[in-house]
Amino acid sequence: MLMMTRRAGQKIVLGDDITIEVVEVAGNTVRIGVTAPREVPVYREEIWTAVRAENEAAAAAPRDLPLPPQR
Amino acid sequence: MTQTLKSTRFGDVELADDAIVEFPNGLIGLRGTRYALVPHGDDGTFVWLHSMEDPDLALPLTRPWNFFADYEVELSDSEAERIGVSDPSQADVYVTVRATGAATDFTANLRAPIVIAGGRGYQVINDAGDPPVRAPLFANPVG
Repeated sequence: MLMMTRRAGQKIVLGDDITIEVVEVAGNTVRIGVTAPREVPVYREEIWTAVRAENEAAAAAPRDLPLPPQR
Repeated sequence: MTQTLKSTRFGDVELADDAIVEFPNGLIGLRGTRYALVPHGDDGTFVWLHSMEDPDLALPLTRPWNFFADYEVELSDSEAERIGVSDPSQADVYVTVRATGAATDFTANLRAPIVIAGGRGYQVINDAGDPPVRAPLFANPVG
């Protein structure tokens, strides 16, 4: 992982099209702004990880989905 | 016009052109951008989102309102802009289903629905409330 240190107001540029700005540092939280082309999705990592896990679990479904008997 | 989908689950499947959905950003964490909607069984409750690039890759989907009458989809401005859909009620909305094990264990991902419109699909993050990634579909049967 590439590490660098930024202060509030400073930015990081990824490639030519994505900019990450440290907007504000307050206590334990950092307010981060992301500027990216509209087609680039931006996710909170924990959500991305959880969704990936559900996608992988869904992809493990067998061809015959065992549905419960009709009541 | 039809195309043939090769599937390890279903063999060769004939697809109408309108069954094919292009996912410009793919599905979160999965490779591939070309998928097709393949019906499951007769009653239409579930449909498979089947990769056209990987014969082994298929995810069961359902329309969330089949199971969650109060389900709402809200997109951030950037998500709405990314997918080109500002009103999800004008598109086809599905959720992925974790369908391994017993039916009573099936869950749907209400947090990251699939929105399909005009032959293109996107997996989006739903900002309405705090939807779970694992919402049980079937209540435990009364004993």
